Amino acid sequence: MLRIFIHRLLLGIATVAIVSGIIFAAVEALPGDACTAILQRDASGERLANCRRELGLDRPAATRYAEWAFGAVRGDLGISAHNNKPIASLVGDRLKNTLLLAGCSLALGIPLALFLGVLTGLRRDKFSDLALSTIAIFAMTIPEFVTATVLIFVFSIWLGWVPGIVTASASSSLSAFFPGIVLPVIVLTMVMTAHIMRTVRSSVIDVMSSDYVQMATLKGVPYWQIVFRHALPNALLPAINVIALTVGWLLGGVVVVEKVFNYPGLGHYMIDSISDRDLPVVQAIALIVATAYVGVNLAADLLAMAFNPRLRTLKARSP
Amino acid sequence: MNKLIGAIAIAAFSMTATAVFAQSKGTFRQAHDIGFGDASSLDPISRGRVFQLTEKLMSRLVRISPDGKPVGELAESWSTTSDAQTWTFKLRPNVKFHDGKVMTAADVVYSIRRIQDPKENSPVRSTIAVIDTVEAADPQTVVMKLKSPYAELPLVLTDYRVVVIPDGSGDTIKTTGIGTGPFKLEKFEPRGTSVLVANKDYFQGAPGVERVEVIGIADANARVQALLGGQIDFLPGLTRQQRTLLERSNRHSFWQVKTGNWRGMVFRTDVKPFDDVRVRRAVRMAVDRQALLNLVAGADGGVVGCDTPVSPVDQYRSPKTCAQDIAGAKKLLADAGYPNGIDVEVHTSTIESVWPTIAEAYQQQVAPAGIRVKVTPVPTDGYWTQIWMKKDVVMTRFNDRPADAILNEVYRSGTPWNESFFKDEKFDAMLDAARRELDAEKRKALYIAAQDYLSDNGGTFVTYHVVDNVATTARVKDLDKLENFSIRWHLVKVD
Repeated sequence: MLRIFIHRLLLGIATVAIVSGIIFAAVEALPGDACTAILQRDASGERLANCRRELGLDRPAATRYAEWAFGAVRGDLGISAHNNKPIASLVGDRLKNTLLLAGCSLALGIPLALFLGVLTGLRRDKFSDLALSTIAIFAMTIPEFVTATVLIFVFSIWLGWVPGIVTASASSSLSAFFPGIVLPVIVLTMVMTAHIMRTVRSSVIDVMSSDYVQMATLKGVPYWQIVFRHALPNALLPAINVIALTVGWLLGGVVVVEKVFNYPGLGHYMIDSISDRDLPVVQAIALIVATAYVGVNLAADLLAMAFNPRLRTLKARSP
Repeated sequence: MNKLIGAIAIAAFSMTATAVFAQSKGTFRQAHDIGFGDASSLDPISRGRVFQLTEKLMSRLVRISPDGKPVGELAESWSTTSDAQTWTFKLRPNVKFHDGKVMTAADVVYSIRRIQDPKENSPVRSTIAVIDTVEAADPQTVVMKLKSPYAELPLVLTDYRVVVIPDGSGDTIKTTGIGTGPFKLEKFEPRGTSVLVANKDYFQGAPGVERVEVIGIADANARVQALLGGQIDFLPGLTRQQRTLLERSNRHSFWQVKTGNWRGMVFRTDVKPFDDVRVRRAVRMAVDRQALLNLVAGADGGVVGCDTPVSPVDQYRSPKTCAQDIAGAKKLLADAGYPNGIDVEVHTSTIESVWPTIAEAYQQQVAPAGIRVKVTPVPTDGYWTQIWMKKDVVMTRFNDRPADAILNEVYRSGTPWNESFFKDEKFDAMLDAARRELDAEKRKALYIAAQDYLSDNGGTFVTYHVVDNVATTARVKDLDKLENFSIRWHLVKVD
């Protein structure tokens, strides 16, 4: 178990390192740099040279990457090229906001998804299943920006119940995000609930038609006991991985939703920083997002192993 | 919505209850686009200035009156010598900065010298390049000596960035925002909500609203949603599509404002085939400007002229118009040695949403004249550094400037933003003559002659000047229906 853990941890670190390299190269390959982004039409001659010297952009890309990586390992994410503030606090604020958004959506979405998934799985092909599954397919397939716009139109512009966009700044306290956060949470909940619910539904259906459940039924075990004691623990295993992916997706900052609602989270900041060519910030966010993905997946795999002894050896995974 | 208005009404009521003597009441909210991200600043001359804030915090010496003429703001009056080279400004007495200090000539001199300082590297430096020295004659009098005669100095000083800040405040102004304007800074949060409060000591009387909130909303659609949902009160720059939403709304007011902002297409006058003036004329003569405008922005979405960059609301705008003339364009091309027409590659980008449409409409319109246009879309990234002033034919845009400023900045030989590489001593001499002329009527004739010379010989197809679509919530009253930098913010009221 420990060997697997260390093995996976090293793999994860390598993944994060590779991702940060790719991101650096990709942003570097875009035309223009932080200075042309700041100066725009004035980006020429002396001004441009001065700006590049000030921001250290006149040094080779490899040197800059090495410096950044060395600092990041020691926990120093560097200074934003655009406002000379430490990136750790800038990104920290956005991370806090993204965690708030993700936390609210998960707290609402996961119980709802599990409940609906089990319900539809058990009542397969009945009216309630058909209705809920159809709604879920809609919730999954309609892009978030459409859902978001419709919700804003109905609840903010027509009915005027909740604000359509978030006007709090990145560093404001958590309470400043209410009630502006309500609509983004609903949009995210709709999408993630649908995903998780459909996975749970199909695995509940699988398990309920498996041999051991039939055996239990034939033995006369009461229905609810079959469901709760025998079926669900197995049926919910696949859900762990879907939930992990969802958590990763939420932590990465849901760019579209954050943009539409003007929510000051990580995804929004990432987009802004890319257009500003603020490479140190882009790198820092990429690092956090990659780490979150790897970490959450690692946690999910460990959880799955804890519940499922068959996964506990390296050999079993690669026969 | 009703609840929101109710809440605001209660808030406004409680505010009036606590401050019985104040006339200022309510909160006026508007958005800014966070165009400068974390480089956003309250320093009026920095690149990242958030003008939605600085325009309310600070005052100019001179501003534009609703009828387009310069009027005194911090300057009470001014006079000039007969050669128009030495200007004397008398300051308004007893004007106080937000920190209580009285504004004097020393503050004005400091503010102007700071703009001139090469170390500040301010984009405004070139705007006031005509000023040579600035001195305080006494605490109420400022004397400016110019490098060359210039009759329009007061107009130059109406630039929204040429404002007065306290003497010596250069290092702190970017966060304190101290000026003499109608509102004082309470909180500066460029990516969130910045708050201003009424300056009860404002020299033109206490402002109509108690609070101004300027909210950072980067996304253009989010700003419209905020306006529709009543989260902000004022939004200029609406597109043609968004306009229809607001025109019909009974919870909003909508109007249009003519501006000096223009969109255009630039042919470099220093490369073949456009180094031949006949070709430059032909590529502009083959266009039906009004039809193009109708297609791109709607008939009332802009104002067309004859390739003058001067604003349609500027007193010096040339009235000249030009009609499409396919046969004439063909003949000019044949005379220039291109009887079989020419190939033109137009570079466009989505930095400006209408550019691609303009380029495509142009392509269709000029085809009958034998001008074969290839439209090449390029990435928005690096457009200003790698395409503009590099490729032979590119799209361009400029914001409002006084007539003299736009003509000198973009068309005088050798200036950094001379995008068409126009080099013409006769034209430069015309600009010099206009600058020297103190008689207003004669000056006007000279500026118009310069514009008409440009429309005959230049390389810029000025497609149209933008008519801005502006909307407010219905609770906003007395907001000047003027171009943004002429709005008198202290007059605005909210219900």
